[in-house]
Amino acid sequence: MITVHNVSKTFKLSREQKKELSDDEARKTVDAVSGVSFECRPGRIFALLGPNGAGKTTTLRLIATLLKPSSGSITVSGHDAVKEPLKVRAQIGFLTGTTKLYERLTPNELVKYYADLHGMEPGHFQKRKEEIFSLLNVHDFANRRIGKLSTGMKQKVSIARTMIHDPAVVIFDEPTVGLDVITSRSIIELIRASRDAGKTVIVSTHIMGEVSLLSDDLAIFHNGKLIYRGAYKEFQSHMRSDSLEEEFIRLLKEARA
Amino acid sequence: MKMIMTIFRKELLDSLRDRRTLVTMVVVPLLPFPLLIGISSRVTMSQIKKAQEKVLRVGVLATQTPLNFRSMLAGREDIRIIDLPTLDEGTALVQSDSLDAFIAFDPAFERAVTELRSGGVTHVFKAAERREIETDRVRKIIDAYAATLREARFKRMNLDASIINTLNVNEQNLASPKERIAEVIGGFLPYLFIIFCYLGAIYPAIDLAAGEKERGTLETLLTAPVGRMQILLGKFGVVTLTGILSAGVSIFGLYIGIQQVREIPPELFQTIMSILELKSIVLLISLLIPLTVFFAAGLLSLSIYARSFKEAQSLISPLMIVVIVPAFLGLLPGMTLTEVTALIPILNISLATKGIIAETASPWLIAEVFVSMIALAALSLYLCSKIFGRESIVFR
Repeated sequence: MITVHNVSKTFKLSREQKKELSDDEARKTVDAVSGVSFECRPGRIFALLGPNGAGKTTTLRLIATLLKPSSGSITVSGHDAVKEPLKVRAQIGFLTGTTKLYERLTPNELVKYYADLHGMEPGHFQKRKEEIFSLLNVHDFANRRIGKLSTGMKQKVSIARTMIHDPAVVIFDEPTVGLDVITSRSIIELIRASRDAGKTVIVSTHIMGEVSLLSDDLAIFHNGKLIYRGAYKEFQSHMRSDSLEEEFIRLLKEARA
Repeated sequence: MKMIMTIFRKELLDSLRDRRTLVTMVVVPLLPFPLLIGISSRVTMSQIKKAQEKVLRVGVLATQTPLNFRSMLAGREDIRIIDLPTLDEGTALVQSDSLDAFIAFDPAFERAVTELRSGGVTHVFKAAERREIETDRVRKIIDAYAATLREARFKRMNLDASIINTLNVNEQNLASPKERIAEVIGGFLPYLFIIFCYLGAIYPAIDLAAGEKERGTLETLLTAPVGRMQILLGKFGVVTLTGILSAGVSIFGLYIGIQQVREIPPELFQTIMSILELKSIVLLISLLIPLTVFFAAGLLSLSIYARSFKEAQSLISPLMIVVIVPAFLGLLPGMTLTEVTALIPILNISLATKGIIAETASPWLIAEVFVSMIALAALSLYLCSKIFGRESIVFR
């Protein structure tokens, strides 16, 4: 369970960023996320949809305790993200499409490293590793250096790394970016399987197809603010456009106006 | 502590599998001493031998050379006499390297000697580097000739030659062989140890912070239930270890280098080997530990700040000069460990190492170096942890 309540995140602009914003040179800060509230429940997939720079990644980083909110509160499985970051991190699995792995380690070593960081008991780790490696067919290359594996194999290792400690909450930040169709499909299956296993799942994406494939609940971001929040089925039933993409663009235009 | 060790073990394994880390940690510090000592000693010894055994071509004036001097030269197998008519011709031949030396006695030489005055003699030579040895050989012949003339003069005057000695100096050099060696190599060794400490720490520091940031693995690591300080200490331990290992490997390289030199005088060899005794090495390494901690914290801070491997390299490379200058100052003559220099980072390590090699360092000053370096290392580690804790830097 994730509860995000009235969360804002303001970043100080760097010198380079100030130069880029020639329209308003007096600006010293930027609101990446502003007054955002939502709730992700176990056994459901919560999709964050929005264009690049809308605040999706910042929101996920706030939930994962990588960043601290400027205001508002976040709780994950009942733990406050600011006051109890280690307890929050113990609950989550975090996977992004751009994440790379330690290329000089083997899948066995990498998964063991993350299991140790999560304080897993050796017996529990072995059992869990067997399950995940069998499910993802990692055994065949479990002792090869990650740097020598194909993109698809690396993605399987990433999934194993994310799921080794059996997290109650799984965060996927644009998980299929740059992946081929087959590898993307395996990620989609993992997300669904996580939901079916009763986990709380939150996914950020800007791919419309993924939204329709995965979403139980949907939040649409624009310029750091939520412009829609609700069940996906409800969203579909109220669509004024023919397709999800058209509706998304219509909502963005409406928000800009 | 368990988490720090988990991160330390992983980072060490990762670093040891990296060829570039191994090269900067093992190969680079291991090779210089054996190569420097081996090549320089072989080349120097062969040049000295060559200069000592060479048959010198010594020109003399055909008409004005005293017979007893000529016979002195003729009696030597390592000299070939060449008679020349004028001083100018002899000078030209030395200039063109056709002669090794030219000796011209003044026309009035013999009369001056007979009248108990100084006789004039011109020694023309062209000495530079190895030719100093050749010039010395000729100078010694002239000195020996002067001694025979002096002896003859005293005899003629019925005087004891020893009356010329007004002082009978009994020189007692209380400097131990180690102190004398320390003057020569005591400044040079710490300079190299400090540089290797720094060089050994650079690559892992960049790879474990900026490299991890660039590869996108840091973000995932920060989502694990481990404190940032624990992550930092794990990484920091590896960077410190590689710096110290580099210095250790360079000491081992020095040992190998000394072992391979056969021509080294036994006294010098024994002295150098005693510098490499366990006690000295332990003391040297323990001095290098706080220095490496200081280096590791500084390097990691810059590396964490950098967005990429390349940016970290461009931030760190110019700092080499900050390390070299104080290390180099320790090489200067007259620069010693005092209450003030013991507080100057890097220079204090350089001077303390020199003192340890010479066995002249005061334990109090060594303790001051330790305390000041430990304080500095702790401060730099604290600043590094502050930088690693700032999200605006980690996610720049």
